[in-house]
Amino acid sequence: MIELRIHGRGGQGGVTLAKIIATTRFLQGDSVQAFGIYAAERSGAPLQAFCRYSREPIVNRNLVYKPHHVIVLDPTLVGPGILSGLKAEGWILINAPGSPAPFSERFPGYRIAVVDATAIARENGLGTRSVPIVNTALAGAVARVLGFELKWVQSALEHLGFVGGNLTASSRGYDEVTVLDTPLDSEATVEAVKPSTARVPGFLTRPSGELPAIKTGQWATEQPRRQQMVPPCNHVCPAGNDVQGFLQALAREEQDEALAILLRTNPFPSVCGRVCPAPCVESCNRMGLDGAVHVRELERLAGDRGQVNIEPMTERFESVAVVGSGPAGLSAAYHLRRLGYRVKVFEASDHVGGLLRSGIPGYRLPLEVIDREIGRIVELGVEIVTGSPVDRNRLLELTRSYDALAVATGLQELRSLRLGLEETTKVVQGIDFLDRSRRGEVRVDGEEIIVVGGGNTAMDAARSALRLGALSVRIVYRRTRKEMPAIPEEIEQGLEEGIAIDFLTQPISLEELEDGRCRLVCRRMVLGEADESGRRRPVDVPGSDFSMECHRLILALGQSPDLSVFPEGTEVRQDGRLIGLLETPVFAVGDLATKDGTVAAAIGSGRRCALHIHKMLFGNSLSDEDRPEDWVDIWRDVVIEPDSLKMHLFERRPPMEVGTLLPEARRSTFDEVHLGLSDLDEAKRCLSCGVCNECDLCVTYCPEGVLKRVGHRFEFDYAYCKGCGVCAAECPRNVIFMSHL
Amino acid sequence: MSKKLVTGNHAAGYALSTAGEANRNARGAVCGIYPITPQTEIVEYVAKFPFTKGRVIPVESEHSAMGVSIGASISGARAFTASSSNGLAYMVENIMVAGYYRLPIVMVAVNRTLGPPWNIWADQSDTLMLRDFPWIQLYCETNQEVLDTTLLAFRLAEDRRILLPALVCLDAFIVSHTQMGTDLPEQELVDRFLPVLDLPHRLRCDKPATMGGLVWPQEAMSQRLEIDEAMERVPGVLEECRTAFAEVFGREVTGAVETFGVEDAETVLIASSTIATTAREVIRNRRAVGEKIGLLKIKMYRPFPEAEIRAACRTAKKIAVLDRNYAAGIGGIFWWDVRAALQDCSPSPLVQGYLTGLCGGDVTPSVIDQVIGDITSRHRATKPIWMAIEAGKEKSR
Repeated sequence: MIELRIHGRGGQGGVTLAKIIATTRFLQGDSVQAFGIYAAERSGAPLQAFCRYSREPIVNRNLVYKPHHVIVLDPTLVGPGILSGLKAEGWILINAPGSPAPFSERFPGYRIAVVDATAIARENGLGTRSVPIVNTALAGAVARVLGFELKWVQSALEHLGFVGGNLTASSRGYDEVTVLDTPLDSEATVEAVKPSTARVPGFLTRPSGELPAIKTGQWATEQPRRQQMVPPCNHVCPAGNDVQGFLQALAREEQDEALAILLRTNPFPSVCGRVCPAPCVESCNRMGLDGAVHVRELERLAGDRGQVNIEPMTERFESVAVVGSGPAGLSAAYHLRRLGYRVKVFEASDHVGGLLRSGIPGYRLPLEVIDREIGRIVELGVEIVTGSPVDRNRLLELTRSYDALAVATGLQELRSLRLGLEETTKVVQGIDFLDRSRRGEVRVDGEEIIVVGGGNTAMDAARSALRLGALSVRIVYRRTRKEMPAIPEEIEQGLEEGIAIDFLTQPISLEELEDGRCRLVCRRMVLGEADESGRRRPVDVPGSDFSMECHRLILALGQSPDLSVFPEGTEVRQDGRLIGLLETPVFAVGDLATKDGTVAAAIGSGRRCALHIHKMLFGNSLSDEDRPEDWVDIWRDVVIEPDSLKMHLFERRPPMEVGTLLPEARRSTFDEVHLGLSDLDEAKRCLSCGVCNECDLCVTYCPEGVLKRVGHRFEFDYAYCKGCGVCAAECPRNVIFMSHL
Repeated sequence: MSKKLVTGNHAAGYALSTAGEANRNARGAVCGIYPITPQTEIVEYVAKFPFTKGRVIPVESEHSAMGVSIGASISGARAFTASSSNGLAYMVENIMVAGYYRLPIVMVAVNRTLGPPWNIWADQSDTLMLRDFPWIQLYCETNQEVLDTTLLAFRLAEDRRILLPALVCLDAFIVSHTQMGTDLPEQELVDRFLPVLDLPHRLRCDKPATMGGLVWPQEAMSQRLEIDEAMERVPGVLEECRTAFAEVFGREVTGAVETFGVEDAETVLIASSTIATTAREVIRNRRAVGEKIGLLKIKMYRPFPEAEIRAACRTAKKIAVLDRNYAAGIGGIFWWDVRAALQDCSPSPLVQGYLTGLCGGDVTPSVIDQVIGDITSRHRATKPIWMAIEAGKEKSR
């Protein structure tokens, strides 16, 4: 009688291999047995299966203790245990890649055969990638090693209903097995079976008093690990905010902590919470579920309600000059001051805040919000001087008295159209109009106003004109609504307030009429090919000219940077730094360095500038310092998509209503249009994509109780974790994943 | 004849299914099913079987699985099920009901340790807890014996002189999950062996009746007496069934007991199920060198084959009973009954009990040798001896 022992793991098909071998012999007329050892083990647990065959009837009903040969289905099971009771000169057939030689050295006295059954199984699509079913490839190898004819094995496989890839795998196993049948010399086989004891040993009364421990972790073929990925809102934020972080703080009802998180990257959360176009909302993974989270409104809420004292992290002796006190300049100043530098801001005009103050109307951004957030920067220790313009010569002076400069003079060159009447009061620039409006120096009572342009300045000027008493306001824009750069919500609100928009309309000329009004001649356009900005270029429709009349024309056609402040022979490099003749590092910040043109982009540019300056002065990068304590195993620079989230595990919960003034009420007032959120419950809709928010579903569902959370740290007890994968299946945000061992 | 390599569970499932199919021209077959390791493959087999007239009904518990079988059997269907261990414990109330209703239900039970502690391996204590109910109990040694005995059990149970349910038992894993060559008879042969079921007391629309209602002590005790008389008839009817089985299938199926070498034996080992296989081989080798040792395999535990045991132990001076089961406060259950059966023999043999292979321990030839060494050198009996599991061997379980 020949007895075989198979060492495998649950799910690999070891018991079936025993049956295949038994069937092979059975069909040749042998008496056979095939059986496994079964227990409560599940997939991946080490287990054994046996086969015995004989020409004589088999009357043995015992386990196999002294096998003639052993077969090892998984190279991780190769250990002293496989020799237990193995008869001298027996074969050890191992599923492993490579040569039998290393195993021969490890198991002297035995004949070794090796076949890469895992590769064969995978190439034939048997099982899954993580658990390939290797038994048919090994059955072929067994035939070769034990001297059966391959056709016997194949007819056994067919008898058992195995077809296709399994037959191919068996013949490849037969062909590809490599054997070393001259064993190295060794001492006789170690006798594994000990003499019998006199009586049944105690269980509860055993001398040590301990119950037997079964370290089930050794069954695992996969282990859970944790990863942190990048939420899309964080990825797209031009200011570099930890959006997911502050939302989760709000969700925990910690609004001070939420503000502290925002202030790590952004000195203007209350401003951005009002004026940001919020690409975070556009990218929110919740969009397709039941609507994006109102991130901007929540930022406003955190900024308005949170209480945080900000102090410099340290004090340094180096000093930095910042030119311009718009959002980019103040962001650079804020971050440099937080890093400990002495910072002085030079502002040409008589007020601080740049476009925040002069270019955004009060119904979107009240002055007290600007004052409050600038106040925080001043309190931090940033010195700001107003009425202090910096030209090229002054800039050179500053480079001699400061260790570094950040230049954030913004866009000063206003674009115009040669329509005529530019030198009269009939034509005003939108930026100037908004500034004068802010200062209360202009009224347009009873006037018909035409605004030319499609950006935010055009919308702001139009809606301001309405509030300043205009009889009617219309916007002419040469493309369509789809191409308008203005924030869609602002366009929508302008239309609600009664502003008309003429799309595909190009102003041609302007002439004054006898009654003091003007006639604007326009031409219809159609959209042609896309231009370099990616938008379709408007093309004239010949003979389509028409005219409209107005009291005043406001031009909002965009602005260009005025680079005359920089010395000749210098140029702005991609990271914003000037290169050329200067020894002191000078950085261009904000609209001088980016094309985005939003407050958030200006803030992000200011922060990057501060980090560049810090790196140049101090030789250190801060890129990792803002990360929370290291409580995950793996950081991944991958933006998590909705497909990677388990959406079915999230409750449907539509977005909360954001209050706004009614259109009738707001036409005549500069009071804020948006009333904000009434409470922070909206933050609880944040899915925390790819970032653990300690929902503890994994801990709850771990069937083995081997997963626990200690503070922010999760601990897997890998000694007992069987790798069942329930924690990974239950993690809604893809933080836990299974790692193949 | 078609011999196939199948497990004990497959053999049991095949026998149940073909027996059910054999009743297709009468009131069909019904099986209530609920899974439990190591029995599940049996009901899986039955559930996949394409019955011409039959229903396999998955239910929420073992209690209901037997409930379904009871309802089906009362209405005249050939009813059967399978279970094991704690599943049988949960089924107990309805197991008892089936017996007292005199319903010829056949249940295959895979003998598994009762938990706790949790243990899924072979131990007869589960079916032996049912020993006082009106059920015939048969313990099998091989896959072939499981198949043959299951078919036999239907014919025996349904015989009008008997009308009692029958339990066919096999060792967990050692039989249930071990592949061995087994002769799977054609349906046509099963049809010939098993006449269609005609239950005399089945519920009929034209003769409405209530079953199991309240009766006075006299009637109830009469019913118990009838059961006792039916039990008395079992050994005789069993022999008739065996004869019919051999005629149809061309092979013998073991009866209430099976003996080997007891004719001249001074020492007799008594065992059941797969322990009997191992003991037989050890005894065969010892007899070959002249030792006067014999084996008595008890296959039918209920009704207890007292006469057959006394006959087999005629020449024995010493008797060793090997039990893979345990009755708390007593010891081995077969040992207790054997001792009672031999109570008034003269001269009275020494009967010693050995508890071995409980909870799935492997009973190897060396364990049998130790038992023989003990019994042959022993002069008086003691309380049952707990045979050690060989160190190093239980680990591999």
